[in-house]
Amino acid sequence: MSIIASILLLAGGVVAVLAGVGLLKFSTAYARFHAAGKASPVAFVLAALGAAFEVGPAGAAVLLLASVALVLTLPIAVHLLFRAVHRTTDGDHLVIDELSPHDRR
Amino acid sequence: MIATIALGCFVLAGACAAARVGLGPTLADRIAALDVALISLMGGIVAHAADTGSTDYLIVTVVIAIVGFLATMAASTFITAHERDERS
Repeated sequence: MSIIASILLLAGGVVAVLAGVGLLKFSTAYARFHAAGKASPVAFVLAALGAAFEVGPAGAAVLLLASVALVLTLPIAVHLLFRAVHRTTDGDHLVIDELSPHDRR
Repeated sequence: MIATIALGCFVLAGACAAARVGLGPTLADRIAALDVALISLMGGIVAHAADTGSTDYLIVTVVIAIVGFLATMAASTFITAHERDERS
């Protein structure tokens, strides 16, 4: 395995562990969604970049498709979760709440 | 060797997500944790592909990405609709 592929795969693994630890340790639901929705697609894209050096052009194309599907869909999914939590809990602990004035149910 | 270490990292991330699925406290937390577990599974498949050089399982990552999105979307819609039913 080439040096670049090894470094990218390891970086993806480390970011994935950070996402998991953030998901486990953060105190509020919003902070946990940040860890889930931002770090984990970065981890997958890094690992996919590393693996793309090893699996040839056809495998790299599939990895590109998976990365694009993940990066396009995961922010939407996490935003929907944010909105669900925002609608179902009181926002008293929020310092800034920019969603409430724009959220037409 | 490196790919095995990366696979272990992804397994560790999946274990953290599984712990959050157990801890809760809200349903949305569990769903986000299941999302992270699915992405860890995708990363594990990618690490295995980099280790062996085989592309047999790579298409599964695309399927997992799309199915995970649909599941999260349906679940968040369910959370919102369920809460509205309870209030009315």
